[in-house]
Amino acid sequence: AGPRLRLQAAFSFLLLLAGAQALVPSHRLAARDLARLRAVLERPFTDVRAAYFSIVGLSSLGVRVVTISNETRELLLAAISEDSSVTQIFHAVGALSGFGLPLASQEALSALTARLSKEESVLATIQTLETASYLSQQADLSSIVEEIEDLVARLDDLGGVYLQFEEGIETTALFVAAAYKLSDHVGTEPAIKEDQVIQLMNAIFSKKNFETLSEAFSVARAAGSLSQNRFHLPIIVVPDGPAAVSHHQPVLRLQVTNVMSQILTQVSVKLDQAKSVSSKATVLQQLPFTLSGDFFELNFMNVKPASGYYDFSISVDGDKRFIANKVELKVKVSTEVGITNVDLSTVDKDQSIAPKTTRVAYPAKAKGSFTADSHQNFALSFQLIDVNSGAELTPHQTFVRLHNQKTGQEVVFVAEPDSKNVYKFELDTSERKTEFDSASGTYTLYLIIGDATLENPILWNVADVVITFPEEDAPSTVQSKNLFVPKPEIQHLFREPEKRPPTVVSNTFTALVLSPLLLLLVLWIKIGANISNFSFAPSTIVFHMGHAAMLGLMYVYWTQLNMFQTLKYLAILGGITFLAGNRMLAQKAVKR
Amino acid sequence: DEACVAVFFRRFLALQQHHLRALDAFLLYVLLTGALQFGYCLGVGRLCFPLWLPPVLTGGSLFLCSAVCLRIQINPQNKSEFQGISPERAFADFLFANTILHLVVINFVG
Repeated sequence: AGPRLRLQAAFSFLLLLAGAQALVPSHRLAARDLARLRAVLERPFTDVRAAYFSIVGLSSLGVRVVTISNETRELLLAAISEDSSVTQIFHAVGALSGFGLPLASQEALSALTARLSKEESVLATIQTLETASYLSQQADLSSIVEEIEDLVARLDDLGGVYLQFEEGIETTALFVAAAYKLSDHVGTEPAIKEDQVIQLMNAIFSKKNFETLSEAFSVARAAGSLSQNRFHLPIIVVPDGPAAVSHHQPVLRLQVTNVMSQILTQVSVKLDQAKSVSSKATVLQQLPFTLSGDFFELNFMNVKPASGYYDFSISVDGDKRFIANKVELKVKVSTEVGITNVDLSTVDKDQSIAPKTTRVAYPAKAKGSFTADSHQNFALSFQLIDVNSGAELTPHQTFVRLHNQKTGQEVVFVAEPDSKNVYKFELDTSERKTEFDSASGTYTLYLIIGDATLENPILWNVADVVITFPEEDAPSTVQSKNLFVPKPEIQHLFREPEKRPPTVVSNTFTALVLSPLLLLLVLWIKIGANISNFSFAPSTIVFHMGHAAMLGLMYVYWTQLNMFQTLKYLAILGGITFLAGNRMLAQKAVKR
Repeated sequence: DEACVAVFFRRFLALQQHHLRALDAFLLYVLLTGALQFGYCLGVGRLCFPLWLPPVLTGGSLFLCSAVCLRIQINPQNKSEFQGISPERAFADFLFANTILHLVVINFVG
């Protein structure tokens, strides 16, 4: 086990490196999933296999079950031998134990180990694990316990989040159930690391719909074993509603559950650290949550945190078996915003006249209207504060919306804060005429304030502004850019056929190309090539016919046949021609 | 070289055997046809390149088969170099090579 240990050490070191950011369970069986699972398992069963799945599956989830005849018992006992497959031995042992009947553990063990060395599949190994868990503890089950480690090595890591066998989730779930069952039975911790347990959990409980009874059964078994075993208990921390606090709701409520959403209250929940996301300052440390009913509570607003997001590091203790008991939670602190020091002014461009400032208080509207034209700019300044703490706020959305009452046009600007967190907005008609399309008129000014951490987003009609643009740019009509009118139709351009030379040219050329043929015939006649030596021996005729047929076959191939058919015919014709030709040429040679 | 060409032509005209002359006439035909097709393709443009390929290839291969192989093997003056191959055998080889050539060409065309 030396090299194996070294491999384990290297593996766990790598895991430590990779898992420096601790794994968080992402899937579990919520109450809804449990109900669905039970519904599948409680369907009436039609054969022994289905009966096994239903009975054992439901009892894993904590639900109840039946008795059995002598012949069946004999049949089951006979199945435990080296001649049956691992699956048969498994079902037999499982059924016998399930019904409380005695069986010979040593025999079963030797049959199992013998069969396992022959059947190397993952499922067979898993079934061996579970079968061993039914056998007496007197038998030496250590060789089978070692199989757990081997199986863990065969799991596929998917993205660092999931761990499953390539055979699928059903097999993975069965493995978890079998491994913990055997470990509980023998009393040794299974060779599965904490991170691996979380990854297995993620994989198994990612399946929310069950197509077959065996799938439902496997997930039920896994859920049962992960919520109730002697070594590893994954726990989940669930906030009550969104994890947000505010002055109206200052208490953060958490629930601690196992993978089956069963609530655990015999635990202690502690806040290790609460750090602000924006300023990275630690706001709170080492504070326990108080248990009230099923929930663990903490009043976060007692420390008067500024609004924003906070990273909570929470640890759950109470049992050495807990896994994933250190949790990171992002908590939002909301507040209400107030607008103060709102000043509306018209500033003269030439700076000759002092600006006229009007102060408005939210939510009133300024009396009278303001003008902005080529001589004057319109300016707006305001401050945003946290109503509860008085601190200055810089929300994400601070918009100034100008809405033309007649044409329905609206233009939105962003108000920027300066170094003292005072928001300013200035409207210069010459700079901004493109946004307005140079449409003069009376515009209503709205102030829009919003943010994820604000409980009271604001839409405030502040004032009316009369904007006048220089005359020469006034458009005749304001076209509302309607995006949803039919666009001009696109005519499909079919591919132009290739340009071919005019028929005259190609006909001339065809004649031209055939002319050497005439030349050839003339030359042959001149030379005196003759066919006087043509003997009418059968082989000669056959040869010439065969040859002609082959040429004909070429033509037919071009028009109709494919290569395979052609080759077939060619083989036949070629054979005949070859034989005939052979004979003919031999005769010629003899004559010569 | 002028001398070389002159010798070549004299030797050529001195040929008396019908077989060789007929074969030479055939070679001339193949050559002319190929050249004409090449000229046509150049003249009309590059559009018909895939159509032009089979004629050229066929012409070239035929030329090769006939001229180089058959002619050399049939010419009695070269008999010393081709001891084991009779003219009949050469002709049979020629036919076989032709068959395969035509098969390939038709496959390409069709």
